[in-house]
Amino acid sequence: MSSNIIELIRENVIQGRVTKDDEGIEEGMAGQPGVTELVEEALASGADVSEVISKGLTASMEVVGQKFETGEYFIPDMLASAEAVGAAMEILKPHLQKSGIKPKGKILIATVKGDIHDIGKNIVIILLRGAGYQVKDIGNNIEAKDIVKAVREEKPDYLGLSALLTSTMVSMEDTIQALEESGLRDKVKIIIGGAPVSEEYAREIGADGYGADGFHAVSVIEALNDSE
Amino acid sequence: MTLMNDPIQIDKDKILNRIGYNGNSTPSSRIDSLVDDYIENYHDFIAPFYSHTVRGIKAVNGNRVDTGDSIILESYKVARLMERCEKVAFFACTIGNYLEDLAAHLAEKGLILQATVLDAIASGTVEKLAIWVEQSIRKDTGRDGFIISRRFSPGYCDWDVSQQGLVFKALGDNAAGINLNDSMLMVPQKSVSGIIGIGRPDKEIENYNPCITCLEKDCPGRRR
Repeated sequence: MSSNIIELIRENVIQGRVTKDDEGIEEGMAGQPGVTELVEEALASGADVSEVISKGLTASMEVVGQKFETGEYFIPDMLASAEAVGAAMEILKPHLQKSGIKPKGKILIATVKGDIHDIGKNIVIILLRGAGYQVKDIGNNIEAKDIVKAVREEKPDYLGLSALLTSTMVSMEDTIQALEESGLRDKVKIIIGGAPVSEEYAREIGADGYGADGFHAVSVIEALNDSE
Repeated sequence: MTLMNDPIQIDKDKILNRIGYNGNSTPSSRIDSLVDDYIENYHDFIAPFYSHTVRGIKAVNGNRVDTGDSIILESYKVARLMERCEKVAFFACTIGNYLEDLAAHLAEKGLILQATVLDAIASGTVEKLAIWVEQSIRKDTGRDGFIISRRFSPGYCDWDVSQQGLVFKALGDNAAGINLNDSMLMVPQKSVSGIIGIGRPDKEIENYNPCITCLEKDCPGRRR
């Protein structure tokens, strides 16, 4: 029974269906239970929460990631799936602690000082949550000193910095320097992303990684996580 | 500043392109209807304002274009255009902040697909408005026998975004209700500002495109 529901959750995440009212990537699915109804059903039937997450949500996002990489899925398809995972995680949140499930890691994420763009950052957040990380968004146009304060208080494993413009990406370097000056640089791995930045720029400013897009950011963090 | 009363018609293909589809790919019916729904309704949520002013070019030296009153544009590529022009039009336009606020609200609620589609529609709409402003400047200047160049905006190519303040200085109080933050970014975000060269009929002005000889082939602002 429970493996059946988990398989259905997996299928519906891949179809990007949050509720029964949603159509899928394939047509003719509206009216059938979506991810939120299925997750509720799974909980009611006593399914193992960690299994719902690992086999139902995380595994299905890996499939979505592959479909995106091969060009079968486009950005909106990927976002629909990520939304379904986000909705499922909201339902599962109260059950995580009870079940003793720990997130894979804690991530703070911010758009750096001067920059007010956040669509890309929001995509990365939803994908990271879907991959099992605890993510705290500290907002847009965040000054280096405020990021340092948040790192000191929250003690994250990772810090994600985002910028959309060449004029604001320099704030990433300022932030890394401020972390160094405050003695916190070695306590957190830093990943940067955004249209003007690159792997080379990440190395240049002393970041630990660069995410070219949402799925790439997740895989970079997974790789850093595995190497610890 | 002026409220633009003509309806802005956006091109659905361009919106689809902004969210990742190209000529060879089509969205699923769900995504297609979502885009259609938003395109049908976005008109009610925009307030398209624009303004422009024209100044004479006093001198062009190296990478500096002097338009008087300490409004000196600094860009080698802009200067190569302006040395052929007599005047420069400064413009700014916006669709207001409602769509971007709504997109931010949707993203906060986890509705990232809807937020992304709405953001693409907002970007497409302000781009269309900028095209309309450009055409309106073309019409105005054409009556006096002048032609215009393409649009150039601070923050693109070698024209630093820090010079955006000069565009707004030229526009004075008449700046379409747009404010600049400390980083010289426009608020509302869905705004476009820039300059257009004005001169006597000259293909070198009309067709001037520094992208053609530029080696940055992957530049997101590259124009054909």
